[in-house]
Amino acid sequence: MRILLIEDDKIIGSAVREQIDADGHSVDWVQRLDSASDALGGAAFDLILLDLMLPDGRGISFLKSLRATGSQVPVMILTALDQISDRIEGLNAGADDYLVKPFDLSELSARIGAVARRYSGNPNPIIGFQTLQIDLAARRVMRAGKAIALTAREWVLFEAFLQNPARLFAKTTLEERLYSFDVDVDSNTIEVHISHLRKKLGAAVILTERGLGYRLGQA
Amino acid sequence: MWFWPNSIKVRTALILSVLVTILWLGAAGITARILSNEMGNVFDAALQETGQRILQLAVIEVLGRDEDGNSQLVTALDSGPEFFTYMVRDDLGQVLLSSQNAVATQFPQGLPMGFSTLAQARLYQEAAVSGSIILTIAEPLAHRRTVAGEVALALSLPLLLVIPLSIVGISYGLGFGLGPLGQLQGQLAQREIGDLASLQTDDLPRELQPIAMTANQLFARLKTAFDAERSFASNAAHELRTPLAGAVAQVQRLRQLTQEPETMRRADQIEVTLKRLTRLSERLIQLARAEGAQLIAASPSDMRIILRWVAEDFSRGSDMGRLRMDLPDQAVLSTLDPDAVGIVARNLFENALRHGDGGQVRVHLGLDGWLGVENVGPAVADPAALAVRFMRMGGLGSGLGLAIVRTVADRAGIAMTLTSPLAGQTGGFCALIQLRADT
Repeated sequence: MRILLIEDDKIIGSAVREQIDADGHSVDWVQRLDSASDALGGAAFDLILLDLMLPDGRGISFLKSLRATGSQVPVMILTALDQISDRIEGLNAGADDYLVKPFDLSELSARIGAVARRYSGNPNPIIGFQTLQIDLAARRVMRAGKAIALTAREWVLFEAFLQNPARLFAKTTLEERLYSFDVDVDSNTIEVHISHLRKKLGAAVILTERGLGYRLGQA
Repeated sequence: MWFWPNSIKVRTALILSVLVTILWLGAAGITARILSNEMGNVFDAALQETGQRILQLAVIEVLGRDEDGNSQLVTALDSGPEFFTYMVRDDLGQVLLSSQNAVATQFPQGLPMGFSTLAQARLYQEAAVSGSIILTIAEPLAHRRTVAGEVALALSLPLLLVIPLSIVGISYGLGFGLGPLGQLQGQLAQREIGDLASLQTDDLPRELQPIAMTANQLFARLKTAFDAERSFASNAAHELRTPLAGAVAQVQRLRQLTQEPETMRRADQIEVTLKRLTRLSERLIQLARAEGAQLIAASPSDMRIILRWVAEDFSRGSDMGRLRMDLPDQAVLSTLDPDAVGIVARNLFENALRHGDGGQVRVHLGLDGWLGVENVGPAVADPAALAVRFMRMGGLGSGLGLAIVRTVADRAGIAMTLTSPLAGQTGGFCALIQLRADT
């Protein structure tokens, strides 16, 4: 997934970015709301992690404005405001989840996965595909009871196909999911990851639409 | 005085009704008295006129007699009651003429000329022919009294209708006149306890404007104070939590990045300490909120939703699956402030999870608003003492959790009980609290 992190505290922000990156997602980190608006105007994000107290305004107002434009991108609030009324205000403004600081980074990872599953229309964390059993929450793939190890980036790529089984992904779209603006991507990176996935999971797992991109294979 | 009504309207109506009744009765009494005097004069004039006419006739009749010394009884023209009786005597007291029912004892001699009053009659005496013929005419006082009584009755009877009508009129008039007071009373009585909105003053009469404006100023000051307290607590919580969150996140990253056992152990220790510091600062802020914040909200909330949210926060990590929630299907609405409910639930849940035997904690919410949080574990000798600040069970915890809940309960005026052991068991602990502030 490509995630926009809006957090002004550098210590928290750097830790969260590292965690998300380690999970295999692509993350863009901004520290102000105006920068967030610019980022949203330049790319499509799968999830926004939003702090509420920012130097140039309140996150709630930003969220309301975002929803007013019709944006359906999932938003998870990360805040030190811990009261029930704050949570009510956040959820009423259109947030999908609300995580109070301090939080465990593992919990953040789990919730990011849950929000992604909710928006893919499949809240069940365990699904079957071809000969595979896939636990979306645990980020684990099994075949015949035997675990298949995937790297973080391979998992994120595979998860993108699982969440959108009918979608044709352009190569640039997949690159955006894996890497943020500030990372240079080699021209054949996606091909390499797809190749690794086919070797580990089976050649029919991901199909190539020549000249167009990739899509998930038949179940 | 126990019988004195506690209502301005009823009191005023009562006082005015009594005063009007007294005035009406007084006026009627004075009128009757004046009428009685006037009628006495009229009766006297009639008595005098009648006596003088009879005296003229008596003089003619007596002087025309052939013989002296004969008395004559004048018979009445009809057999009806005689209002006037008379007796004519000569200067020696010899009766010369008398009416049919005249009795000599009723006409004592030696009366002065003119009017005189005896026990039973009003008399008039006049002489003629150089005092040789004296007429005394009498009218029974009973007749005059009867007439005076009839006059008084005639004056009093309308009052039986007028006085109740006056009372009804006064009550209606007061109700109309005091209408704005009733509206102000209604505005104050109907508002929720946490509603600090200003009163409508546009339609109020000038006598009530200062009261309403003073109340509005008080509401505004209260709202400002509550908002300031909420803002301060919120900012304090935010400012404390943010650096702690950064430290926790960084130490967790450090823990993930290192493979060196000693570094991992130290990272774990730092994380535990940071989380303990977080909990303690959270408790202190909660205590400040419980002691100073507005605990009653302007509009009710569904307690089930808040309890679910708080339970969800405990549903991860080591406490996963330990809270057994038993919530009703219907909404349980309460005007207790959602933040206060969150503080209460968080502390009760954590208390039960921390001090229980490690098993399940039962959370039950009734439709009547009673929240019960039960855990299995050792019995507590004096459960009520745990709600005393810094009283720790077995030296564990901050000693603030149940004290915070007790503070919320006391300030919101809601009931709370702590019992141990559980009914029919040798151990366990149960905290019961009524979440509906309007009961």
